[in-house]
Amino acid sequence: MKTDNKIKLFLVDDDKLLLKSLELEFFQQGNYAVRTFATGELCIEQLSDIPDVIILDYHLDGIESNAMNGIDTLDKIKSVNPDIPVIMLSSQDKIEIAVNCMHSKAFDYIVKSETAFVRLQKVIGTILNEKKMEKQLSWYMDRM
Amino acid sequence: MAKIKKDDELILANKELVFQNKEKEKRAAELVVANKELAFQTEEKEKRAAELLVANRELAFQNNEKEKRAAELVIANKELVFQNDEKEKRAAELVIANYARGLIEASRDPLFTISPLGKITDLNEATVRVLGLSRKKLISTDFFDYFTDSKKAREGYEEVFEKEFVADYPLTLSDNDHTEVLFNGSVYKDDKGGVVGAVVVARVITEQKRIEKELIEAKVFAELATTIAEEAKIKAESATRIAENAVKAKQQFLSNMSHEIRTPMNAIIGFTKVVLKTNLTEKQKEYLSAIKLSGDALIVLINDILDLAKVDAGKMTFEQTPFQMSVSISAMLHLFETKIQEKNLQLVKVYDEKIPKVLVGDPIRLHQIILNLVSNAVKFTTKGKITVSVNLFSENEESATIEFSVKDTGIGIPEAKIKNIFENFQQATSGTSRLYGGTGLGLAIVKQLVEPQGGTISVQSDLNQGSTFSFILTFQKTVAGSESDNRIVESDKEIKNINVLVVEDIPLNQLLMKTLLDDFGFGCDIAGNGKIAIEKLETNPYDIILMDLQMPVMNGFEATEHIRNIMNSKIPIIALTADVTTVDVTKCKEVGMNDYIAKPVDEKLLYSIIVGLVKSPVTLITENIKEKKDVETYTGKGTKCVDLSFLNRRTKSDPTLMMEMIGLYLEQTPPLITALREGFKNKNWELLQSAAHKMIPSFSIVGIGMEFENMAKKVQDFAKGQKDNEELSSMVLQLVNICAQACDELQEEFNIIKNKIK
Repeated sequence: MKTDNKIKLFLVDDDKLLLKSLELEFFQQGNYAVRTFATGELCIEQLSDIPDVIILDYHLDGIESNAMNGIDTLDKIKSVNPDIPVIMLSSQDKIEIAVNCMHSKAFDYIVKSETAFVRLQKVIGTILNEKKMEKQLSWYMDRM
Repeated sequence: MAKIKKDDELILANKELVFQNKEKEKRAAELVVANKELAFQTEEKEKRAAELLVANRELAFQNNEKEKRAAELVIANKELVFQNDEKEKRAAELVIANYARGLIEASRDPLFTISPLGKITDLNEATVRVLGLSRKKLISTDFFDYFTDSKKAREGYEEVFEKEFVADYPLTLSDNDHTEVLFNGSVYKDDKGGVVGAVVVARVITEQKRIEKELIEAKVFAELATTIAEEAKIKAESATRIAENAVKAKQQFLSNMSHEIRTPMNAIIGFTKVVLKTNLTEKQKEYLSAIKLSGDALIVLINDILDLAKVDAGKMTFEQTPFQMSVSISAMLHLFETKIQEKNLQLVKVYDEKIPKVLVGDPIRLHQIILNLVSNAVKFTTKGKITVSVNLFSENEESATIEFSVKDTGIGIPEAKIKNIFENFQQATSGTSRLYGGTGLGLAIVKQLVEPQGGTISVQSDLNQGSTFSFILTFQKTVAGSESDNRIVESDKEIKNINVLVVEDIPLNQLLMKTLLDDFGFGCDIAGNGKIAIEKLETNPYDIILMDLQMPVMNGFEATEHIRNIMNSKIPIIALTADVTTVDVTKCKEVGMNDYIAKPVDEKLLYSIIVGLVKSPVTLITENIKEKKDVETYTGKGTKCVDLSFLNRRTKSDPTLMMEMIGLYLEQTPPLITALREGFKNKNWELLQSAAHKMIPSFSIVGIGMEFENMAKKVQDFAKGQKDNEELSSMVLQLVNICAQACDELQEEFNIIKNKIK
């Protein structure tokens, strides 16, 4: 019941501090059910839980150089379930990286900054809205 | 005779015997016959018995038959009942069939059957209605004649008989409206499974088509709206970017302009002052004074514009330093003495002695506010007096609220204009500037200086009677002493033989400083940049350094850091800054400069600062440090590199969460420090880049200054470009140090919180 109305969110970042900080921020919003993962692998293992949105760090192989990086994780998520929207989060503001993420079907690309959280919320709002519209449309189509 | 008798008798007897025999034989024969008769009779009897048997059998058979018949009769009865039932059922079915037919007739969808040859064999009322033709006319006609595309209709019909059904086959009726239908058909068969014909429903989908069309339109519209929204978003983003760039460009321009204009102005004003000291004719003095006045005015204007730009950009910062209010006010009013005398006015100062001697605030801003108000008062007053009053408004244990007011007997402000005078470029009347000069920026700046500090400003005025401007500001109290007042209090003692090293890249300014210092009777040596200065410092002894901040090769900050940290010299260093109102001042103090002086240099101020520092440099430094500490403990902010306000906000000061967050930082930072160090040492650029990259988000979380975040970004860029230079080395070291310090401090905070929970 409780989790029904909440937006199920997966946060993936190897920066534990940032991860916790984001989790708290979403938690305080109240309407999010947040699960956090320190690596892409852990997140992929739990994909069967089908989150509404995944927020994925781009630079997952920062210190553990053999860890799966953000793009690979994104590709993997998309191969398992292409319907889960993934928002990439990165401290990189390079256009090419953003474009690469988009090519890998990321829903959006957000640069880590003080305003990142607000933008995340906004993008999540857009995603949910879009889903709703799609649902409505298919309902109409069915009716026809 | 006996014998004859006997014979006779015998004959008789014989005769009797023969007779008897004969009789016997007769009797035997009769017996035989009887026997025969008996046998016959027996035979007959047997025959009869056999016949009886047969008859019995026949009887049994007949009985059987009878039973059979009876059974058959029962069955026949049952059959009859069944038949009756069937009849009833048939009757019911007939009713149902009629009902079904009724339903079919009632259907609004045209329903008809076609023969394998494509002829219409039956149809419902809807067909008649839709096609507009009577039943009779329709029956036995080719059904595909009634569609606009009869070829397609024929194909549909062929498909039905081929596949035994067809679903949602779209066709258009050739009626007046060209009704769109979906053709659904399936064959029906007779008892033997032979195809008899096809039953076809042509569903009218005009309504669906309309809905579909509307939906498509809606979809297109939605897509269009999304596109528009996206475009708008992109536009807005680009507009934001442009606006941001414009703001940046504006600030850059202002900063450049400030530097570019100030540098020559510095020389103009400085040399004018120098020339004024030489022997001149009255006329020459007059002209030179005019030049100096214009220069001063220009500097004020530039400062005003810069201040407003800073306010606009939200860059206006307020210092929190201890200062002596009364001394500060007196010194400032001192500046107006000449002008007041010139205009034959009276300047009255009313100072409330209850005001605490030392307060914490921004004396420079306070000067600026009062300066603006008093110069306005002087400007608009032709006769009478100007009263500056400073009164204690309220006081508590931590702070004192003070009301400042500047009252004049000048031209006053018309009531209608009062509400506008604090706006940019506004003066009471448009003619005012022609008459009295000024840009109309002064009051705008005053308002912008008072309000961000939590103060209020008000004005009360009577036309031709005068105006009173008053503002209220709250200052923190402090137990510390104020910064030494050597900036304002002049030293009477003449001190000679001071060796000054001037570090300045612009030749005009070099010459000016040399002239000034020569005038003071001090020794002077010039270095063109920080690097030359360091070289000179290594070979020659100096008493004090005047350090410009912006220089090529090595700037003032770098040079000072080098002198303090590497040469370990405590030689007093005065920063020559182009703009005292910027944050540069904080940076000057951070790198270890003792004091600063704004350009254009005020010679009296320069003299007193030099003398003050050379006379007692050691005490001054320690005193400064002590003060700083006092102020810091007072405001609760130390030289700590971390600031937990973000975490407090984020966790709503929940101690468990705080501990968790700090714990995470403490857990993940040491490996990052190691990685940073290792990466740099082994020239493992990738590792260095990643480590620097990983550090970036945590800086803002634990409140480490922006400069370190930028440093980490720079390290990241350098590492990417594999640029190994001194700057990188220094930055890596600084990052390692700051993170280590942050860890120490956070560990402490962690323990404090932990103990609190206990």
